[in-house]
Amino acid sequence: MKRQLTITSQPIDEAVLLRERRVSEGMGAVIYFLGVVRGTEGERNISAIEYEAFQKMVEHQFHLLFDDMEKRWPIESVRLVHRTGVVKVNEPSLWVEVVAPHRGEAFAACQWLIDEMKRVVPIWKKPISS
Amino acid sequence: MRVPVHFYSYFKDLAGCAQTEEAVADGSTLADLLKQVFQRFPKLAAMERSMLVAVGVDYQPRHHVLKDGDEVSLFPPVQGG
Repeated sequence: MKRQLTITSQPIDEAVLLRERRVSEGMGAVIYFLGVVRGTEGERNISAIEYEAFQKMVEHQFHLLFDDMEKRWPIESVRLVHRTGVVKVNEPSLWVEVVAPHRGEAFAACQWLIDEMKRVVPIWKKPISS
Repeated sequence: MRVPVHFYSYFKDLAGCAQTEEAVADGSTLADLLKQVFQRFPKLAAMERSMLVAVGVDYQPRHHVLKDGDEVSLFPPVQGG
């Protein structure tokens, strides 16, 4: 399984990511998910979220998840980009793409990866009030 | 043995610093280290139940025996995405 992980303080450029997509002939499903900063946190309005990451552990934990993912589903590739620093409302903080032979495993793997990320990958949010 | 301890997210605010160092006896566990950390930073003690603990880049249980060179990180539940 090919894997590409990017933890960055730079804005997520979807156009570049889509241009770099590679899908072999045996693959029938490409799922991608974009997580966007909402303008509310609980009941209060916010203008942005500041993301803090324990970078070395983030990379290690994501690769453990990718190892597990590879054992569970016949995934051809996974690419994941997560922002750090201040991300304004309406801007993307997370981009995940999974390429697999069929949609069932692609959806399942993508959902699982995001759920597990929220459980073990050491990234934290600090809402910034508007 | 001296063990560096790092804090992340709002644990930095509760501790008033991003890192510290604790002297522990050989054979000490993470639980032993945490007792010392909580004495020095009482506001962190209230977070014990939800606190996540890593040694290096791996999560470890409280009975993990510390060894020379270990670096410990303490942080609240993660929230990526």
